[in-house]
This record gives sequence, C-alpha cells and structure tokens, in this order.
Amino acid sequence: MAVKSETRGDLQSELAIKLVNVSTYYSGETKPAIRDISLEIRAGDLVLISGPNGAGKTTLLETILGLLKPKKGRILLLGHEIPKEASLVRKMCSYLPQDFMKPAGEPFSVKEVVAMGLSPIRPLGKLNSADWEAVYDALEILGVKDLAERPFGRLSGGQQQKVMLARALIRKPKVLFLDEPFSSLDRESRAYLSEEVLPELVKKGTTVLLVSHDVTFKPSDCSMIVHMKDGVIVKVEG
Amino acid sequence: MLPLILTATIAGALAGSLCGCTGVLCDRLGLRTVAFAVAHAALAGAALSFLVGVSSIVLGMIFALLTALILGPLADTFEIPIDMVSMTLFSLYNALTFIFLILSPGIVLAAEKVSQVLWGSVLAVTPDYLIILFTIAILYALFLVTLWHRIAPILFDKRLAEAEGINVRAYTYALIALTGLVVVLTLRITGGFLVFSLVYIPASSALQLSENMKRIVALSAILGLTSAIAGVYVSFLADLPVGSSIVICAAGILLIASIAGYFRRKSLIKFVS
Repeated sequence: MAVKSETRGDLQSELAIKLVNVSTYYSGETKPAIRDISLEIRAGDLVLISGPNGAGKTTLLETILGLLKPKKGRILLLGHEIPKEASLVRKMCSYLPQDFMKPAGEPFSVKEVVAMGLSPIRPLGKLNSADWEAVYDALEILGVKDLAERPFGRLSGGQQQKVMLARALIRKPKVLFLDEPFSSLDRESRAYLSEEVLPELVKKGTTVLLVSHDVTFKPSDCSMIVHMKDGVIVKVEG
Repeated sequence: MLPLILTATIAGALAGSLCGCTGVLCDRLGLRTVAFAVAHAALAGAALSFLVGVSSIVLGMIFALLTALILGPLADTFEIPIDMVSMTLFSLYNALTFIFLILSPGIVLAAEKVSQVLWGSVLAVTPDYLIILFTIAILYALFLVTLWHRIAPILFDKRLAEAEGINVRAYTYALIALTGLVVVLTLRITGGFLVFSLVYIPASSALQLSENMKRIVALSAILGLTSAIAGVYVSFLADLPVGSSIVICAAGILLIASIAGYFRRKSLIKFVS
C-alpha cells in the first residue's frame, strides 16, 4: 500500500511506525549511519532490533523519534509525519536511552526523576495527587519504591535503570522505545521485565521497540526481530 | 551616606540572589561561558559609545542583550558547541573594545569611563536602576516558579526531555536571555571582571551544601544575596571597591561551605557504612 494513500486513522489502527527508504547522516559524515531503511511495525507489536555495536540501532530509534533528522525518506509515527510533527507525537511515546547513568552528585530525587516523565503531558507540567500516586505505583512495579526519596545519583547502575524504566512506563505510552534497557540489570530483574512487565504492556496495546546488541536475547511475546548491520536491515524475522 | 548604603544593599541583595540562581541553571545547562560573552559584549558596547557619542550604559546593554539573544541560535544553526561560540564572542568583544578605545576622541577619558564598566560602582545604583532590578527579580522568580516542572527535566537530561516532548530549545533560549539580562544588570555594581564570580561562586557553595535541586537553587540565591550584602558593608567599612569586596565575601562563604560539605559527606559515608 502506498504511504501517500493512507489516512491518519488507518495508520493509527494498523501501523504504529512506518519508514520508507530512510537514511540518516551524522553532521559532517559522508557515510550514512542508517541507509535506505524501510520498515512497518503494527500497533501493539513487541519488536526487537538486534545487531552488533555500530549497526545503527540507536540511530534508528532516534530517527523515528525525530531526535535525528533523516536526510531522505519518510517516517510516520502514530500517523504523524516525523520530524515535522515530532514534538506533538513524542508526548504519546516514551524513550529509555542507553546512556541514562548520572554521576554521584546528581541532585534530583528518585521520585522527582519519575515525575518528570509526566510533566510534558500535564498543563504547565504540574502534577496532582493522583499523579504522585502513579509515581509510587510505577516505582513499586519496578521494585524500587523504597528508594523514592533518595538522590538519583546515589543509586547503583541497575537501580538507576529501573527508575528510568519507571519514568518511561508512567507516561502510559502508545509507543515505548527501549535502548538496551537491561544492560545494568541482574538476571532476575531482566527476566521479570522481559517476561512479565513488557508482555503485559503489549497486551494493553502498547507498541514496544527494544534495542539489544545481545543476539541470544529474545523477550516473550516478541512478534518481530529486525537484524541490523552497518546501518542497514539485513534480516527480518516474524 | 545612609540612602547610598541602603540602595547599594538592596541592589546587591537583588543582583546577588539573581546571579546565584542563574549560576546553578547555567551550570546544569552547560552554559557556563555565556556570562563571559555577555559581560564583554557590554564592555564593547560601552567602548563604542565613546566613539559614536551615545550613552555607554544604553549601548552596553544593547550589545549584551543582543549577544544573549543570538548565542543559542548561532550555536544551533552552525552546530558549534555554545561554549565555543561564547568564548569566540568573548575574544572578539575584547578586541573590539580595544579598537574602539584607540579610535575614541579623548582616549584617556574613554578608558577611564570603560573602567567603570570593568569594575562597577555603587554610585551607578539609582532609583530607576533599583526598579528595573526589582522588576527583573519578580519576573525571574515567576518564570522559575511557574515553569519549574518543565525546566527541571531539561536540567536533568536535555536529550530525554526533548524525546518526551518538551521544547528544550525554547526554554534554553529563554534561560540564556534571562542570564544575559541578569549579567547586564549586575555589571553596574560588580563590573565586567567580577560579575562571573557572583554568578558561579554562590552556585559552587550551594552544591557543597545540598543534594536537592530545589534547595540548591534556593541556597545559591541566598548565598549570592549574603555575599552581595556582606560585600557592600565591607566596602563601606574598609573603604574598598564594592565589586572586589563582594567577590572576597563570596569566596569566604565558599571556603566555609566547602569545609562543611567535606564533613557532611564524611558523616554520610560513616552513616551508610
């Protein structure tokens, strides 16, 4: 089906993400970081993007979110043109970057960091009492509620990653972008998240894009695996 | 004498608290060199005023505000780190100041007047200036209180805030413009050479004393205010330049805060272990 003939409503009900021949270059580079990427992801799918370091996985996520501008091609995220309508559609998505770690002096508390996830989608960013309850609920799901009052910088890498996941989840996103979300987690936490938390989200209709360099890793309910290498898609499974 | 010391104290308190707040925000946003560029823009403007025969304060302020407004767009358009743009403009303005002074008719008088911009003076604190300072302080406080929940995610992680739908560019430009305004206004008391210390020393002191972002901003404002008031009184009592006295008081507070911070961290480690 041609992208131009699709209406926004059709895309919202069928496709969460559509990329047509997308190439992205970093400033000053002559070689594209991702090249001629075409991909369709249905709403409610859990998609694993796999590949070695430098394959272009993070670039692909950030291009879909409009954080990097593609040099050519067309991107539709929840039916909205990217990067033109990126600021609007980003409010319906969550992103957990791979470089989430903060130094020991980071002065925001854990509950403040999670609450920040809600501020872009609230008038003037102000949270009400129900929102604060949701903050504590999200921390509880990730098993870090007892850390709520502590400075974020005083947490271990794994604890920081769980807090950032809580921040991503609290926004109740339509599309969840996770870049190496288990890199600092122990085996038990990783299994709990990939086998319970993520499938539960997918059941509720959230589209999940999960980036991992670990080719042996495959989360439950994964509907598609996209293998990348040297900036191109080399294989799609599912 | 009393009205002068009173107005100087009020002006110092307002400028000190504004600078303290600004220092923390600049530090978190990676805009540490913005104050350098803005202050030296004011200097170049003042030097040019002697060449073209207009008010040095007005031209200095125009230069400084224009610099604050173009810094962000320049860095974004040409994809150069903002610190590089700031330091380039800082050097350019120094060169321009020198050229304007050389070309000025009555070079000695012009150099003397420019030195007022360099070192500041309490005599520059007029009722009009106090009203402007007070208005800016209110607007600044309103901006922070109203939009804190949008600014905090940017202070935590700019890239993530952008990914979550916050207009990071607009807020950053607004904060750069406010920084410019605060620096320009404080220049009249501390001068161009010393304004940076009132921006950054209270922020450094506050970072020693707390690990809570809101408290750090408030503490920095309070310590900036304390440094400025103490500096004004030391200046009057010891007959020393105001700007220098303020900086020495701020440095003294930083020394005390650093010692307190050292023992606080030590006791925290003992408590945890």
